[in-house]
Amino acid sequence: MDVRSQVSMVFHLDKCIGCHTCSVACKNVWTDRKGTGYMWWNNVETKPGTGYPTQWENQDKYQGGWEKNDDGELKIKSTGKAEVVPNIFHNPHMPSMDDYYEPWTYDYQHLFNAPEGADQPTALPISKITGEVIDVKSGPNWDDDLGGSQIYAENDPNLEGLTEQQRMQLSSVERLVLFYLPRICNHCLNPCCVASCPSGALYKRGEDGIVLIDQKRCRAWRSCVAACPYKKTYFNWFWGKSEKCILCFPRLETGQAPACFHSCVGRIRYLGVLLYDAERIEEIAKLPDDELVEGMRSIILDPFDPKVIAEAERNDIPEGVIDAAQRSPVYQFVMKWKIALPPHIEYRTLPMLFYVPPMSPVLASREEDTIHHATDNLFHEIDNARVPMKYLANLLGAGHEGVVRYALAKQMAVRWHRRAETVGDVDREMVDRMLFEADCSVEEAEAIYKLTSLCTFDDRFVIPPMYREQAIEMIKDPHEYRRDAGFGFVGGPRRGL
Amino acid sequence: MKLDLMILLPIFGSARLSFRPSWLDFLETKATSLGMFVVSRLTRIKRPLLLFFALSYVAALPLVTSAQDTPDYFRQNCLSCHTIGGGRLTGPDLKDITERQPDREWLIKFIMNPTAVLASSDPYAKKIFEESRRVPMPMAPQMTRERAEKLLELIETESKLDESQFRGLQISTEPFTEEDRERGSEIFLGVRPLEAGGASCISCHSIHGLAPLGGGQLGPDLTNICERLEGRATLSAWLMAPATETMLPIFKKHPLSSNEIHSLVAYFESTAGQQAASTAGNRVAFLLSGLIGAVAIIFLFDVIWKRRFHAVRRPLVESLPKRGKA
Repeated sequence: MDVRSQVSMVFHLDKCIGCHTCSVACKNVWTDRKGTGYMWWNNVETKPGTGYPTQWENQDKYQGGWEKNDDGELKIKSTGKAEVVPNIFHNPHMPSMDDYYEPWTYDYQHLFNAPEGADQPTALPISKITGEVIDVKSGPNWDDDLGGSQIYAENDPNLEGLTEQQRMQLSSVERLVLFYLPRICNHCLNPCCVASCPSGALYKRGEDGIVLIDQKRCRAWRSCVAACPYKKTYFNWFWGKSEKCILCFPRLETGQAPACFHSCVGRIRYLGVLLYDAERIEEIAKLPDDELVEGMRSIILDPFDPKVIAEAERNDIPEGVIDAAQRSPVYQFVMKWKIALPPHIEYRTLPMLFYVPPMSPVLASREEDTIHHATDNLFHEIDNARVPMKYLANLLGAGHEGVVRYALAKQMAVRWHRRAETVGDVDREMVDRMLFEADCSVEEAEAIYKLTSLCTFDDRFVIPPMYREQAIEMIKDPHEYRRDAGFGFVGGPRRGL
Repeated sequence: MKLDLMILLPIFGSARLSFRPSWLDFLETKATSLGMFVVSRLTRIKRPLLLFFALSYVAALPLVTSAQDTPDYFRQNCLSCHTIGGGRLTGPDLKDITERQPDREWLIKFIMNPTAVLASSDPYAKKIFEESRRVPMPMAPQMTRERAEKLLELIETESKLDESQFRGLQISTEPFTEEDRERGSEIFLGVRPLEAGGASCISCHSIHGLAPLGGGQLGPDLTNICERLEGRATLSAWLMAPATETMLPIFKKHPLSSNEIHSLVAYFESTAGQQAASTAGNRVAFLLSGLIGAVAIIFLFDVIWKRRFHAVRRPLVESLPKRGKA
């Protein structure tokens, strides 16, 4: 057993209202520099939809993530030793600017400087790359709230395996449905971006598992951009370096939640430490698709297990981090209640961001002037929801419905339980049976309810102490560093070598 | 610059005794070309002549100081134009030179600075200048009075011997056999590798009978080299110590054997008088093959990176039927 700690995350999709506050907070803090205009380290997508960049989930086109080759070994889909040389001048699997969008601003000056005329002056969109007036073709949320559904929603790669009828229903007026998928870097356990970098510029921080790009070592190969199946590394065309979400590590190190977490209006985000067994990562990443979710859960370790604690201490994981792991809300969602699931684990990067699948709005249909609930139930049946189970399974269960159904059933049971508690208009016996079928005790239902609906700031963010001062001592002796450094400035990243 | 090198080189030279890293070879090559430059500045000899004659000058830089120094110096700097008792090459046979010109001071002055003596319209200097087909003797590298005296002593000693070690390669005047020519051709083409491991001629030279691009373009065409160098003796002497800037660093360490020289001279003699391979047609072929190759490579790249224009979003947009067009 090789115990490591990882700051990991849960996004509760049932609570997300799609306000993009997280994206704006992130952009204001990190990506308002030149060359980062198109980068959305945090973005919120409408599902069904093609997301950002367009159809990022379509790995036939982008070749992201890992695949198992004929020998059963893991291989990076987008590159390999033999592919580096012939593609040295051009990586064929990169998203183009059109697949992102051409970042733009507006010619606001024109509003003031326009000569007098018959019409109101307008501010034309100006490309942030060329400075020319452009005709905006798409943007990072072009398909927001099902905008351009015929192009975007209908080409969602997660619709694969849905029947023609299910697809039709998704876009019929009566059953129209959408939910939001906020995305940041998953800080994976088996990060494909790190593995693909020819310069070794990417690394996963030992103490908290945050995946970072060393701006001084990055040589603009852009292998990470091609390799990341979530398309969460971006190339800064101005500096000539790749950048990605840093999980606001400077904020974490000072005990603050990352900007997107902190600003989340719907309080959908949870952050906490997970302990995992690094020895078994490769073994788990090679499992067949339907065993991946369970396999992933099996390498996350119980922070209360004395054996785990002893091994963690042997690996120099500080007591404070183990304590944080024991209080981690992420551990509750992922391991105890098993209602949070890793997105697209079939890419085999073992993401450490988990999503609680969303409950669909109650199903209704309209005949003449009357609106009918499709079921007699107060809440609909999960198998009959607007969002087909298969769709959620494609997104969160590597195509297998079992884990998704389990998570939804438990959430549904909690709803019925709370209805019985607060309103009392439902049969208690039926609720108890439902809880039993959902593998959920009353105490557990209460705990889920509390952490979902009544969670305070400190419940949601259990930020471990980072001990940066100690962590840095492992690399350099501060006293020696002080002596050697002298006066001067820390240089910023520069284009080129 | 020159001074710097003179200080530096003995230091490297001492390293040479124990081991010899490759950067030293590189440095030596650089030093040689630098020497060449210095010579051209100092003597103001016309370039073609320089290429041929300043050779002995830069043939080598004395890196090791020892008893063997003077004979080595002679071999490296004088032997491609002079013999001792081997007959005239470009320059006169030096056997008994001290008897022919008893004025020792004159000889030393001439060795040290032939250009100055020639310029002073000295009658004896003029005479040997005419005899040498008006090719002036170049300045020798790192020449000092002491060295000139030692050289004269060496010539005197060697002159007394029946067979001087500097007699030069004695090529018989007998006609060469077909076998010699055949072997020479093989050596030229590189079919038969050089004994000491030097690069074969075709790497840099071309000769009559080769297809376009068949031979190297770095060195001159060698079809009529026999005529240009006026016969076997000079050609052999040249091959013994090829001393151009390009050939020197290679063949100093991998000299041609006398058998190889014999065969090559035979071959060169047989090609004399024929049309050179390096013609205008050759150049056109070279240009054309470059152009065709460039186009072929562009197409190849186009195939290798055929996916470079793949787009994801645009085809989705374009696949949607335009509204209002039933």
